Amino acid sequence: MTLLDVNGLNMSFSGYGRTRQVLHDVSFSVGASERVALIGETGSGKSVTAKAILGTLPGNASVDGGSIAFDGLDLFRQSMADREKLKGTAFSIIMQDPLSSFNPVFRIGQHLDDVMYYADRRRGEVSSAAERKARIHDTLRKVQLADAGRVYNAWPFELSGGMRQRVLIALALLHRPRMLIADEPGTALDVTTQDEILRLINRLVAEEGLSLLMITHNLGVVRQTADRVLVMRHGKIVEQGPLAQVFDAPQEQYTRDLMAAVPPLYGPQVVDQPVSHKTPMITLQGVKKVYAKRGLFNRGEGHLAVDDINITVNEGEIFGLAGESGSGKTTVARMMMGLLSQTEGMIAVTGAPAEGAQRLSQIVYQNPGTSLNPKRTVAQTLSVPLARTEVPADRQARMEELLTLVRLPVSYLSKYPHELSGGQKQRVAIARALAAKPRLIILDEPTSALDVSVQKTVIDLLLELRESLGLTYVIISHDLSLMRNFCSRIAIMLKGEIVEQGTPAEVFAEARHPYTRALISAIPVLTAEEQALKPSVTEEERARFLVTSGGGQAAPQATGTE
Amino acid sequence: MGRQIIEGILRRTASVLLVLFVLSLMIFVLARVVPGDPARMALGPSATAEQVADLQAEMGLDQPIIVQYGRYMGNALRGDLGESLVTNRSVTADIADFLPATLELVLVTVFLVFLISVPLGVLTARYRDRWIDNAGRFFSLFGVTIPSFLFAVGLQLLAGSFFPDWPILGRVDYQLNAPDGPTGLLLVDSLVHGRFDVFVDALQHLAFPALALAMAGIGQITRITRSAMIENLRKDHVLTLRSFGVPERVVVFRYLLKLSSIAPLTIMGLEFASLIGNAFVVEMVFGWGGFASYGLTAILQKDLNALMAVVLISGLFFIFANLLVDLALSLIDPRLRLRGQSA
Repeated sequence: MTLLDVNGLNMSFSGYGRTRQVLHDVSFSVGASERVALIGETGSGKSVTAKAILGTLPGNASVDGGSIAFDGLDLFRQSMADREKLKGTAFSIIMQDPLSSFNPVFRIGQHLDDVMYYADRRRGEVSSAAERKARIHDTLRKVQLADAGRVYNAWPFELSGGMRQRVLIALALLHRPRMLIADEPGTALDVTTQDEILRLINRLVAEEGLSLLMITHNLGVVRQTADRVLVMRHGKIVEQGPLAQVFDAPQEQYTRDLMAAVPPLYGPQVVDQPVSHKTPMITLQGVKKVYAKRGLFNRGEGHLAVDDINITVNEGEIFGLAGESGSGKTTVARMMMGLLSQTEGMIAVTGAPAEGAQRLSQIVYQNPGTSLNPKRTVAQTLSVPLARTEVPADRQARMEELLTLVRLPVSYLSKYPHELSGGQKQRVAIARALAAKPRLIILDEPTSALDVSVQKTVIDLLLELRESLGLTYVIISHDLSLMRNFCSRIAIMLKGEIVEQGTPAEVFAEARHPYTRALISAIPVLTAEEQALKPSVTEEERARFLVTSGGGQAAPQATGTE
Repeated sequence: MGRQIIEGILRRTASVLLVLFVLSLMIFVLARVVPGDPARMALGPSATAEQVADLQAEMGLDQPIIVQYGRYMGNALRGDLGESLVTNRSVTADIADFLPATLELVLVTVFLVFLISVPLGVLTARYRDRWIDNAGRFFSLFGVTIPSFLFAVGLQLLAGSFFPDWPILGRVDYQLNAPDGPTGLLLVDSLVHGRFDVFVDALQHLAFPALALAMAGIGQITRITRSAMIENLRKDHVLTLRSFGVPERVVVFRYLLKLSSIAPLTIMGLEFASLIGNAFVVEMVFGWGGFASYGLTAILQKDLNALMAVVLISGLFFIFANLLVDLALSLIDPRLRLRGQSA
């Protein structure tokens, strides 16, 4: 039986005197108790589709044709009040970013209670405060938040990301909707937490017999949570079919490209980077970092960010530091660059800076959207590092050379960051790092803000640059499937310590530490073969090393370390 | 958590004492190094050199500045701020007479600022780029750019020509025989004594001075509220509530208003400084027998003890107002309260 039927939907956004069509003739349906995934990259129109169903489109959006029917009800022909009634009760959304989805100056319980109170009122039901609270507590327990009372009274910042994501799921379940729309659930979370969240959604959908529309860009997630797949591109659905059919025999070139862009974890496609045995560039021995807390009475106490770090980065290698948020990997990278000083231990920089360069190392940050000054053109951005190293006459030529190196047209020198795509911005950030002629580049999550297909092109570029310029990389990431293929050696960090170190082939084939195994087994993969090759983790080991977000304590966001 | 709060209070008190100490030292030294002999000015041109020397000795002006300062502070801590050379009364008594008038004016002004600018800020943000937003923005620019004494004179002229019966001078009609005490704030005292006629009359007297004084703050706070609202309207948590059908008025007036009041409150605390400064001028225009007129006379007459008291109390007032603002902020924002750090 069809529950949701989207038929020939055309939509456009208008602004600044222009109209841009964002959805072209989108048609699909979701059956009762069916799990459908809508996949696509940034700007493909998948979130707009969800908003059209929910009725939360921004004011400048207009529906130019087509219809959306829910259980036979034509949504566009309903009055405003009738559409409001459907929110939360017919279908509801699981919001994406648990960090900013709650108002920071209101308690979690207040959000839940208001949503419930107004939904009850729209349906003409009267409920007492105590009765609502009991219902909310029940729902919180359903999403495995054991201590419902504490969560109810908590402020948003007191909960960990995983717990907030669970509350967002509870919010969607409050009024027993028939369909859940999940917009990239858990994307902002660590891979092990994301894994838990996906299992929870799957279990709830199965237990309550719900329909699920999963919106995501992560193909691994799709394999775990969908029966049927819709592939969206530039506002059109380019391919749809059952999961096995689309994943095993994709018809469209675009789908094939998308699948090929996902780095494999196991299997014949995995790339092993050669190990370098050249001279060491940076050596860390027994390094420890304590962030001192400032206070009137408690001087001296502090937060131990990293402890007993022993690393040697050899010339020409790609050294990976993997770990979840708060594990201390960024602190280690900053100490390597000399941006932070260690509390104890020794950091020896034995590599010499290149001729004409001031420093050995440079850094490329995670989000090029914020690491580039929006008010400066590409040329102005590049001129800062060049002012130190080049005579003015050579600067223009050097800028052009740099853009050519990162495969951007020379004409982009006069562009502003907002005129560039995410991938192009990251190329500019790489060019800026290269401008100072480093021999070592520290890459801090260089691709995590990018789409998979863009991620692949940036990684390929980095590999080429290493080849042609003889660079050494240290990469920090939580994306283990990327690191499996990109790094020549990796170290896994847990709570400030390195628990495992070796070549990716060794670590992935036989991880010694149970945390490494848990981390690897949580990565969403594309094929059943890869799934079978992942290491197994016992429940007891999981409980020992992973902070289960459903359980007790909140994980305070470690300020200054990540 | 308890330790954090105690620590916060201790740190705060220490910084207040330090500020007051530096302020008092600066003004004490400054008032004594500028030319002009207070003893000569107090006695007038006909006094003999001996009389002036006697008064100087009596006032301690022949001692080194540091000794004078030590003696002054010692007395001040015991509540004795010395004697005014102009009124020939103890400064403490003068302050007790004049301060409530200014306090009343400033409090009503702050109330007026919030009453007008917060709703206006919300409206202009909600209907961004519509006519109401444009009108509101023009109005707030008008308030920020025009100095308050001009508003004071302008309002007086307008009232004088259109509402000739409306009072534009003083605090209250003397024929009404306004009751005395216990607070010195006419609005409060009249209610305590059940004199509603005085209450209404005092309100009428307050309306124009308070409005003239409030205009700058209204402009400032409206703009800050507007931009805070606009920024917060874009946040994900607004989308969360909308997605579940929580009515727009609840989203805006309960959820967003509380979050968006953090920035305006912070600015309001800083605005107190210019509010006190502007009150000096506005009080002169409206013949408001307050602290400001007292301070102005003290400055012109080089009445050292009165001057010291006026500056110290203005400083104390500013610090206290900001303490209240911080308290309000920590009540609004749990992150400030529970994390014990300034975010």
